[in-house]
Amino acid sequence: MNSIASQFTNNNNNIIRNEINSVTHEFAQQNSLNLVPSITLPPISQPTDFLRAHTDDETNPDCKIKIAHGTTTLAFRYQGGIIVAVDSRATAGNWIASQTVNKVIRINPFLLGTMAGGAADCQYWETWLGTQCRLHELREKERISVAAASKILGNLVYQYKGMGLSMGTMVCGYTKKEGPTIYYVDSDGTRLKGDLFCVGSGQTFAYGVLDSEYKWELTDEEALYLGKRSILAATHRDAYSGGSINLYHVTEKGWIYHGNHNVGDIFWDIKEQEKSFNNVDG
Amino acid sequence: MDIILGIKVEDGTIIATSKAATRGISVLKDSDDKTRALNARNLIAYTGESGDTVQFAEFIQANIQLYSMRENDIELSPKATASFVRNQLATSLRSRKPYQVNVLIAGYDTKTDTASLNWIDYLGTQVELPYGAHGYAAFYANSLLDKHYRKNMKIEEGLGLLKLCLKELETRMPIDFKGVYVKVVDKDGIRSIEGY
Amino acid sequence: MSDPSSINGGSALAMVGKECIAIACDLRLGNQSLGLSNNFEKLFQFGDKTFLGLTGLATDVLTLSETFRFKNNLYELREERSIEPSTLANLVSSTLYEKRFGPYFVGPIVAGLNSKTNEPFICGFDSIGCIDFAKDFIVSGTASDQLYGMCESLYEPGLEPEDLFETISQALLNAVDRDALSGWGAVVYLVTKDKVTKRVLRTRQD
Repeated sequence: MNSIASQFTNNNNNIIRNEINSVTHEFAQQNSLNLVPSITLPPISQPTDFLRAHTDDETNPDCKIKIAHGTTTLAFRYQGGIIVAVDSRATAGNWIASQTVNKVIRINPFLLGTMAGGAADCQYWETWLGTQCRLHELREKERISVAAASKILGNLVYQYKGMGLSMGTMVCGYTKKEGPTIYYVDSDGTRLKGDLFCVGSGQTFAYGVLDSEYKWELTDEEALYLGKRSILAATHRDAYSGGSINLYHVTEKGWIYHGNHNVGDIFWDIKEQEKSFNNVDG
Repeated sequence: MDIILGIKVEDGTIIATSKAATRGISVLKDSDDKTRALNARNLIAYTGESGDTVQFAEFIQANIQLYSMRENDIELSPKATASFVRNQLATSLRSRKPYQVNVLIAGYDTKTDTASLNWIDYLGTQVELPYGAHGYAAFYANSLLDKHYRKNMKIEEGLGLLKLCLKELETRMPIDFKGVYVKVVDKDGIRSIEGY
Repeated sequence: MSDPSSINGGSALAMVGKECIAIACDLRLGNQSLGLSNNFEKLFQFGDKTFLGLTGLATDVLTLSETFRFKNNLYELREERSIEPSTLANLVSSTLYEKRFGPYFVGPIVAGLNSKTNEPFICGFDSIGCIDFAKDFIVSGTASDQLYGMCESLYEPGLEPEDLFETISQALLNAVDRDALSGWGAVVYLVTKDKVTKRVLRTRQD
């Protein structure tokens, strides 16, 4: 087992070097069969500038390649574990590309990763993180800690700093020695441990509701509702958040999925129940 | 960024404005009042380009007062006041040097016995809202008010809501805004609320 | 994203049926990503059976709605009759062209029935007043691409009023659900030869 593991790790560990090699030898050398894919760069003098000019709609709104953006995600720790709640909208400019995006990546039965920013970046690297976590298990005969898992991701994105990766993610999980733990990792290379994070274009709206009701002593039911309600608040006010809400609860037994809640339906139910959203008629 | 926040309740409208006057990396003053009384029951709160803000607010103030003098002490209603301000901003937008000022207008109409809050930005976009804010404060306060605001609240409850908003802004805003001035516009006129 | 016509968001749509027309719009007013108001109607009535829809930069929507109300009042005083849809269309066109070198950032649409013949009339404009006459439907606003798609597939000529209402509602609703800057409620006006009915649609609030 260990020999299999090492076969996939040592040789191909240095991703940046692999990339540089793949650029310089692109035409001269046929790549050998490689189970971990390497990422090619455009064969021009300044690949980073090129990428920014064509894909970064914040610096260049007229860029032709629009990357899916816009999200609200949150995770918080409380007495009963961790709640993770996310919306499901993907936008490219003002175009709603999807209302059914899965923004929680199930790294393994004890680890969840949330997705904000570039959809492809998050999806790819968090799936990749899943394989790294599995390899860790095979090597060490022990489940990876949340700290270690988040550090793998943090170090990876730091290697790519300045090249246009865009991700804001929370790695949430439970291990014996750490208890329920949340790490915030983003593409600047920031990695923070904390009790409560909201990430994405709708973060402020989620914070608004979450901060006003949050306390450590929340019951499971209250906590799940608060997670859902905070995302709902964000989907209402933020144009780039919406669709439906995916809810998770992380405990010592691993994560439990608490369903997909369509905003179109639950908005009216919650409005009537809470007597809230008084700015909306009907 | 300045905080300009307004909440309309059944019997009046509450306005909160931050006390900090910031230029570059320095706070120049921690007791800056970003409001002007236009007449007995109309209050304008402003934020935006420094220099423009006070010039514009005092220009509006002078014109609203001029109207009262000319028209035998008849006071312009909140609706008419807001409409006048919007028109000035919309006209200014297509001039050589537009005013870059965003405002909230709190008013109480004694004819219909209704409070109002008008949100107007530098483009001349005008909306009547139950609660509203300019700048980053809007991104925190709106969701909170969506949850906790009720239609038939009284001023006391409104002030309680405001406390909730300010607590959130103090924890999440990255810069110290040095507290706020709170003013209420109701049937008795404009008054300051101490202790914020 | 500092394009003036997509700062505030919003969409409108008009359709021709059998001896009737329908005109509809969403109710959102936003400031970029932030939703501000869910009660911002973009349709304005002139006379008994004529409507003007204005999408685009909200300040210009307000300015123009006031300008046209003023001009229409003068017209009614002078002519002692209400304005015809085609006359309003020409009034809109020339008013917009007056600002040829500093335009209003709007996408107006006009829909109505002729006061004598009850013949349906609809048309749309670009921001400087070029009239786009149409026999079937006219779309406008930040969800116009989506609206074209919906209308091209759902529209059929000669619909009865109730069927026309259903068609225009479905077209608008499904289009704005694919636009981040439109939605937050919708209204439909259905104009037949003897009455105007207004219906407010219950929509998603995200």
